This record gives sequence, structure tokens and C-alpha cells, in this order.
Amino acid sequence: MSGKFARFVSLALVVVLVLSFAASTITAQEGKKVLIDANALGASDVPTLDPSLATDTSSIQVLIETNPGLTRTNEITLVTEPGMATWEVSEDGLVYTFSILPEVPWVKYNPETDAVEQVLDADGNPRYVTAEDFAFGIRRSIGGQLGSYYGGIMAGWVLNGKEVYDGTKPVEELGVKALDTYTLEITATQPAAFLSSIFGMWQAYAQPAWVIEEAGDLWTEPEYFQGYGPYTLKDWVHGESVTLIKNPFWPGTDTIPVATIDEVRMLILDQSASLANFEAGTADIAQVPLADLDRIRADATLSEALYIGPSGCTYIYGINTAKPPVDDVRVRRALSMTVNRQALIDNVLKGGQTPAYFFSREDILAAAPKAADYPQYAISEDVDAAKALLQEYLDERGITLEQMEPITLMHNESEGHARIAQAIQQMWTENLGINVTIQTQEWGTYLETIKNETSAPQVFRYGWCLDYTDTHNFLYDVFHSSVRELGISWHDENAQRFDQLVEQAMSETDLQKRTDLYAEAEYLLTNASAAVIPIYFYTNLNMTQPWVTRTYSHFGQQYYEKWDIDLAAKP
Amino acid sequence: MGRYIVRRLLQMFLVLFVVSLLTFATMRAVPGGPFSTEKNLPPRALAQLEAKYNLDEPLYMQYLHYMGDIAIPRLTENRLPPSVLNDYLINIYIPGIDRTLRWMNFGPSYKSVSQTVNSIIKSTLPVSATLGTGALIVAVFIGIPAGVIAALKRNTRWDYAAMSVAIIGVSVPVIISGPILRYVFGVQLKWLPPTGWGSFEHMIMPAFALGFAESARLARLTRASLLQVLNEDYIRTARAKGLHERIVIGIHALKNAMIPVVTTLGPLFAFLATGSFVAELIFGIPGMGKFFVVSITNRDYPVIMGTTLLLATFVILANLFVDLVYVWLDPRIQYS
Repeated sequence: MSGKFARFVSLALVVVLVLSFAASTITAQEGKKVLIDANALGASDVPTLDPSLATDTSSIQVLIETNPGLTRTNEITLVTEPGMATWEVSEDGLVYTFSILPEVPWVKYNPETDAVEQVLDADGNPRYVTAEDFAFGIRRSIGGQLGSYYGGIMAGWVLNGKEVYDGTKPVEELGVKALDTYTLEITATQPAAFLSSIFGMWQAYAQPAWVIEEAGDLWTEPEYFQGYGPYTLKDWVHGESVTLIKNPFWPGTDTIPVATIDEVRMLILDQSASLANFEAGTADIAQVPLADLDRIRADATLSEALYIGPSGCTYIYGINTAKPPVDDVRVRRALSMTVNRQALIDNVLKGGQTPAYFFSREDILAAAPKAADYPQYAISEDVDAAKALLQEYLDERGITLEQMEPITLMHNESEGHARIAQAIQQMWTENLGINVTIQTQEWGTYLETIKNETSAPQVFRYGWCLDYTDTHNFLYDVFHSSVRELGISWHDENAQRFDQLVEQAMSETDLQKRTDLYAEAEYLLTNASAAVIPIYFYTNLNMTQPWVTRTYSHFGQQYYEKWDIDLAAKP
Repeated sequence: MGRYIVRRLLQMFLVLFVVSLLTFATMRAVPGGPFSTEKNLPPRALAQLEAKYNLDEPLYMQYLHYMGDIAIPRLTENRLPPSVLNDYLINIYIPGIDRTLRWMNFGPSYKSVSQTVNSIIKSTLPVSATLGTGALIVAVFIGIPAGVIAALKRNTRWDYAAMSVAIIGVSVPVIISGPILRYVFGVQLKWLPPTGWGSFEHMIMPAFALGFAESARLARLTRASLLQVLNEDYIRTARAKGLHERIVIGIHALKNAMIPVVTTLGPLFAFLATGSFVAELIFGIPGMGKFFVVSITNRDYPVIMGTTLLLATFVILANLFVDLVYVWLDPRIQYS
């Protein structure tokens, strides 16, 4: 009896197991160029494929290929190029007229035919991407009441945008107009050198109003998704992968060519799993965990596949200037001057990062000042001068080093952040003799803590990644008093001057003058007031199989239509 | 027995209510919100999102709304937008009145915009349940025989070998064994895909990593339980009656020794079937564990609530199943 029962249970369990896989087999397709990218999406599911709601790099990576914007940033030169449109700007710099590529059809992947098909309207005619589709996308981002973060960013640049975003003006009054089928006019609130870049961002992509109306929040699922770019969405297995398929109806342009790779399968994996796939030959592109970097460099084959290049982010320590002892600029400057950035990179990070003495990424942003070109502005690493500054502060207060308030350095939970914090704690303790305590918090709690002046510690980890390749995105968008992304006030007289400089730089057309203005703003932020401590500029580390020909993007997102796979060289 | 089951099922709803209340209170007590990011959301955008998800209401109203959406069935039009159809776990079409009875709306996901908690559960639970079943098979088929052999061959090389393996299993968690398995069998030998889901090959390593760790615990428990039973008077009686040793062990000893083992199997299956975050991360499996853990970091309240209630339901049902198996294992146990 017991034996029979046990055998029955065992058999049943095995049957359940086998049946559960019956509907989920993966078949390889011969002769197709399929790229497996285990680097693009990270370890968590893509949050959304709605251009109005996308805020993260993985969502944008998919959208940049399926729904190209009016303009596009060249991934190597970082110059703003035509995307879906060429454009003209009025003499006063306020009116942008975009001529959209004619007769580019909206497409959709059909799983039944395993093919990308044109989308037809009610009369059976192909739906082409029109100026109205772009206008709809912009209106929806700014005036759609969706809680769109980037809609809010764009609202500041489009006529009546802020009022529409805040609901005080109807969306019809937004300065966006379809002049005819393929001509879009956007009226800006003020001239700026980087507006063509902002108008090419994802929140301004064309969106299919008819699908959104039909499917609601589900419109971004493969069942409904429609795009028009060099690739379109084939599949999205939440938590596992996103697959893009070549769009045969994409006409190709000088800046966005017709794709040669048939499919791009982007895996949702953590760094270690990503590298395992690469080494097993089951991924063409992979991430590089810091822990494996020395091993990869020492391996003849793997080191050939390794690429280290710039990425779009800066690593900084924010300072709560309201809390003693860092409410005094001398203490803040002393802290910044005793961070040995190169030693940190050589001994802790090891990923070819660049020491940062300014906040703005000097290598990839338009009008970004290089610290080396402005030695009078950049903060120096000078232990003796730092000690003197600290002593001056102590003498003025009439206290000893032991009597000074201990400094708390906080970071969110992460092995990498912990190693950096420990190294910097050691630098401060050894060079200045101050008492530094490290605290960690879980991500959600951490965000709450650091954005409140009362709860924020004296020093905390922060990072900023570019949205568009202009210094305005770093200095104005993060530290202007009207924005204050860090949530921490910076009160001294330099803050007002900083505001004036970044406002002036916004509309300055002469590149050198703009760069000079930003250099002075950097001086106030990172040196004169030392309101933040720039630590390093991130690098982009990844692995590429030898049979893949590719470009390496300097700002995060990749353009797969410029890549190729040599099937003959692939084992 | 029938009345007992009904009573237990009714008790389940009470337990789930308490779990929901505790979960709701705990997640709201934790600092941070679902729309906190490194970048500051404009106040207007935050207000729009809070209004969309009823987060601008008093907490008690939010709770009542949420529980109402789960507990109260709704008779709706048959033709509804696809996004609404996705909201409900149970949709029963009533042909006579051309209406659909919809029940159990666990809410939207704040972070995964095109998904509801139901769609997350529908897509991830089968994956986690399959992996959990595989892991349980590994655990049972390694753990119980190893424990039996160790007990029957007490203080021999067999016993020491089985218990040494068990100690290794207990000592080496999935976070260690997973990457080792992946490296050896996926990267070096290339016998199995290092990560992913969708075929039997994909399941072997994660099921073994999860199952082996649990099999070690089962082996130790089985050994201890069987040794205790073998010292009982009725075993000596059975042997004295001249019963074959296989009958003594298989029928008389093993069945009784299995009671504590079965007690652990129920909750073990419930936890395995609702996702193992570590195994899913290491092997790139789109299961529930990953969504659950990420939802806590993201303060994705509906996903936290939905997955917690699901796990609680699984544990309660598994315990009920275990209680029913007791009756078969030991006829002296009566539920009346």
C-alpha cells in the first residue's frame, strides 16, 4: 500500500514537471543573425515600455530602437543628429520645425506568422508615423496627468508646458503643433543650445493613440505594442528577457541604418549570471562584475573581449551643509582635498574609472569644462592644506579635534559602495584624524533619509547619470535652486552666483563662453563652497564575443542596427 | 473529516485577514514610498500618481479599498477593456444575463506599469511552482533514502557518509552552491545552460541546488525520527512475530517515522513553490521570488500584499494537506 502510494506520488510529480515544460520549448532558427545581449537590461524586469513613463536605462534602451525620436545622439561623437526628422530653428531660437521622414509605417510583430507586419487603419491603409503622432506623444507626456517625470522635465522647455503640466492650462495650448502630415512645430519657452537634444528624448517619441485608447496600460505588452524603428518588440517575458526583431519596413537613414542583425534578445540577468553566459558561449555581450575583473584581465582570450569606455554617470558624495561640522566650508573642502581619487580607483574600483574633480562629466557632455583646463577652479588633493583648513576651523571654534562632532558617512546597501566608503573613511581618518562612522540603509529608506535636511547625515553617496549630453543636465538640472535634485539645500552666497552662471550658460551660443561659465559654476559647487565631493566618473565595462562587430556607446544605450554578426566565425 | 476541512478553510480566511492587516501596517510603517527615486518627482506628478492609485486617501480607506477589491465579487459587463480584464484573478462568464462575475483584484503594480499583481502571479507562479516541485523531488528522493540508510546502518561508513553529505548540504547555501554548479556544468563542461528557463535542462541545476540543501535537512530529520521509532516496543513485537525486516521497516517503522518529516514537507513545498529569490537571481529564472524581493525594495505595495497573501495561502493549505496525510500515516489520529 505504502509503496504503491509513494510510486503514484512520485509518478504524478514527474508528470506534472514534464507537462509544465510542454508549452515552452525554445527552437533555434537556422541562418538567422540573433544577438544575445546579457548586458543591456540588468537584473530587474524592465519597468515600462511607455515612452511617457520611462525613467530607467533599460526601458529607454528598448524604446530607442523601437520608437526613435525626432533627433538622436550619436553614440560615439555625442553630436545630436537627425533621428526621425531633420529640423530648422527660427532666428530667435524659439521655434523648432521638424520635417519628419515620410511614409515610415507603424509596425507590429505577428506571432502567428512570425513576421513584422504593417499596421493598417480602419480603411485598410497603412498607418504612417505622422507629426500628429509625435504631437500626441508630447501632449500625453506633459499634459496626460500620468505623473510623468520626464514630461515634467520637458514641460519647462515647451511653450505653456509648465502650466499644462500643472493643470492650469488646457493641453491644447501646449506649444506643439502638427503643421501638416509630416511637419511638426515645437515652440520653446527660451532658446537653448541643447533643445534639439531634449526634443529627441523618449518622452517626445511618437505614440500610437489608437492602441493606447484600446488597450490602456496594456498597450506596451507584445500583444498590442506598435513601433516604427529599425527594430520592433517581438517578445517580453517579464523578469527574463526582451526580444527585438528587425523591422523590414524601416527605410534606413544615414544616422539610423537598416539593421543587419535579425533579432536581439536582451536577457534580464545580474552581472555574475551575465558573465557566466558569456563564458559558456550562450551570450554575445555581457556585463563584468568587479570581482572578476582581475581574472578577466589575466586571461588572454577574455581580456581581448573586454572593453572599458566612458559611461554617463558621476559618483559623488553629497554633503548636508546644514549639519555641523560640515556646515563650515573649511571642513567640507578639507574632506574633498583628502580623498585620493586615483588611489581609490587603482586599489578599490580597478575598472579604469577617471578621477572627478568637477561634477559634470568632462568627457561626454557638450560645454563641459575639463578640470585640467581650469586648474585655478578645480579642487586639489592636498593633505597639508586640508589639515591647515581644519585646524583653522577648530581654532575659530575653540575646540579640539576630539571635541568636533563625529561625521556620519552613509550609503545604500551595496558591496561596491561599502568598499568605497571604507577606503574614504580610512583616508579621512589617517589624513585628518577625524572620527567617521559609516552607516548603511536599504535603498527605499536611504532615499527618504538623504532627501530631508533633518534626517540626512553629514555625507552621503549619490550619483547622477545623464539624460542628454549637455552640461546643463548636470549643473542646472541637479543643483539650480529651482530644482535641487539632491533635496539638500546649499545656502551660502555662492549658491546665488551659481544660479546666475548656469542660467546664463543656458542661452549662451558661443561654446567656449558656455564652457567658461560652467567652469566657474563648477568652481563654486565643488571648490569654493565644496557643496559636493566629486569622486570619479563611471566607466562602462563589458564583454563582446569576437564574432560581433559593434559600436560602443559612450552614454549608455546601444544602437544595434549598426552592429553585425559574422555567422561563419561563430562556433 | 469533511466538517473538519470546512472549518479549517474558514479559519484560513481569518488568518489571511490578520496577515493582510499586519503586512499592510508593516509596509506602510517602513520609510520610503513607491515613487521615491534618485531623481525628484515633481510634486504635481507625485500627486497624479498618488491619486491614480488611491494613495491620497487615509490609510484605513486604502486598506478597505484594497481588501474590498480582493474579497468582493463584481458582476460586470462582459465587454470590458483588456486592461480591466487583466485585473481580476477569477472571471466567470454567466451566459443567461451576458454578464461576467469577476473576483479577486489584487491591484496594479506601481513599478511594472503594464502588469497587475494578478498577471505577475499568473506568469511567475507556474515557473516557481515547477522549480519548487523539482526541488522537492530532489529533496525527497535524496534526503529520505539517505536518512533511512543512515538510520539502518547506524554508526557504519554508510551512516557517516550520508551524514557528512548532509552536513555539507546544510552548510552550503544556494548562494554558494548555485554559482559553483553554474560554473562547473554551465561554463566549464557546457553540459547545461548556465541560466534561463523553458526546458528541462534549464531546471536541473537550480532544482538540484535548492533540493540538495533541503535534502540534507530531510536526511538528518529522517535518520533521527527513524532511529527513535526503531527503539519502540511495537517494532520489537513485529520482529518477534517473525515479520520480514522489509515489512518491519517499510510498513511499521517508516510510516510512523515519516510523521515529523511530512510535517516539514508541507511548508517546505509552500516556500519552494512561491519562489526562491537567490536561485532565481543566480540562474536567471523569471519566478515569483525575484518579483517579491524587488517589490519590497520598490515599495510596490500591491505586489507585496498579493505575494504575501499567496504565500500565506500556500502555507495554510500545505499544513492542511499535511494534517490530512497524518490520518493516513497514523490511523490513531482522528479529526472530529
